[in-house]
Amino acid sequence: MKIRLVVLWMAVGIPLAWGVLKTLENALKLFQ
Amino acid sequence: MSPSILDRQTTIAEPGYNRFLVPPAALAVHLCIGQAYAFSTFNLPLTRLIGLTQPAHGDWNLKDVGWIFSIAIVFLGSSAAMFGRWVERVGPRKSMFVAALCFGGGFLVSAVGIHLHQLWIIYLGYGVLGGCGLGIGYISPVSTLIKWFPDRPGMATGMAIAGFGGGALIAAPLSVMLMAHFKTATSNGVLETFVTMGVIYFMFMMIGVISVRVPADEWKPAGWIAPARPKQLVTSANVAVESAWRTPQFWLLWGVLCMNVTAGIGVLGQASPMIQEIFNGRVSPAAAAGFVGLISLFNMGGRFFWATTSDYIGRRNTYMVFFLLGILLYAAVPTLGHLNSTALFVAAFCVILSMYGGGFATIPAYLRDMFGTYQVGAIHGRLLTAWSVAGVLGPVLVNYIRQYQIDHGIPKAQAYSVTMYIMCGMLLIGFICNFAMRAVNSKYYYKAPSLGKTPVSAQS
Repeated sequence: MKIRLVVLWMAVGIPLAWGVLKTLENALKLFQ
Repeated sequence: MSPSILDRQTTIAEPGYNRFLVPPAALAVHLCIGQAYAFSTFNLPLTRLIGLTQPAHGDWNLKDVGWIFSIAIVFLGSSAAMFGRWVERVGPRKSMFVAALCFGGGFLVSAVGIHLHQLWIIYLGYGVLGGCGLGIGYISPVSTLIKWFPDRPGMATGMAIAGFGGGALIAAPLSVMLMAHFKTATSNGVLETFVTMGVIYFMFMMIGVISVRVPADEWKPAGWIAPARPKQLVTSANVAVESAWRTPQFWLLWGVLCMNVTAGIGVLGQASPMIQEIFNGRVSPAAAAGFVGLISLFNMGGRFFWATTSDYIGRRNTYMVFFLLGILLYAAVPTLGHLNSTALFVAAFCVILSMYGGGFATIPAYLRDMFGTYQVGAIHGRLLTAWSVAGVLGPVLVNYIRQYQIDHGIPKAQAYSVTMYIMCGMLLIGFICNFAMRAVNSKYYYKAPSLGKTPVSAQS
């Protein structure tokens, strides 16, 4: 059950983290 | 006849099932359908399918392409309202599967429209079919999450609905990357991107379809006891969807959501030109794009933060904060513009957009408090028609009033001031609706036909 929990959260968490990172990179231009 | 793998009864969780497996199932759906917020990345490429780098004779214009998103949002609201009861009856797995078919299929049908260069096929594909996928997918996991988290309904639905905000953060760079990857001398890569995204989104949504579970009827979290005296404005009874929408509370909540969304959605759509025009010459297009990214992050984060906060301070108080703080901030924006204070301007809009997202994410828990868990998903579906109305009202207010001001000789930098004060007025209406909220009259409570008594939710 715990492995399933980690795998499922990673499946949604990794794309979301990638999206947040890309957006943050873009948002930094506001302060440059 | 044996039940299908998609039926509700085959998704009932076994004893000991970890309820934290359910939010990622909901997120798998919402992260995909949240792509809708990033559809504008396709607008320019869709106007250059023939000319590739510049619009050529026969290419579609931006105004006609803009209708794709509008149709999708209208069908989001109407399908959520129409299919809400069906979603409650068949359960989350079957409805998520249908949502995946519609949303993924919408991209594939649209790809056919691009191939044949027929815009009406895209209206039908992404707009109608995809819009139905958006609506059904949006409400599919809501009632399930509320039943799994009776102790923290705001946090649970906030997580899923934050996924809808997060979906745009993924889709925008993904669309740009895919179009760049598929670009050739004879194609700008949109057709191939639509096919790829249709397949990817269908498969990703299937993660949610496979992993979602509903709790058994009498299930409740280990060690959790429903409060003996429920909080004010939190019911232990249930109201069916057909009765709910006849109550004044439904329409007050409709007004609360509509006003909150109207105030945010117009700004979200115009954020980039607005900051450039207000701070003329001081904010570059690249920096404005950064501003859009930043407020999108706050839109997503606010969904989880405010919905979770509502579990502690109450739904009504949370919306009081949205409206009062919103009025203060919107009223301050013109002054911040005159003061040339970019940092404070950006900070104000970050908070405003966090409350815009928070309004979406807190509403399912508010509905649960007012109408119980029985058909909360279906009631939520009907309430989402407020989003469709706000989706038209917000941009119209911002764009038309701005244009009216400019046509009457007001400098561009000051053209948004009146709009901001009108937003304050909208938020004041929302505040009054929220202030007027009272418990639902017991005459609307659902009475089970066979037992003749008022059922209470499994958790209460």
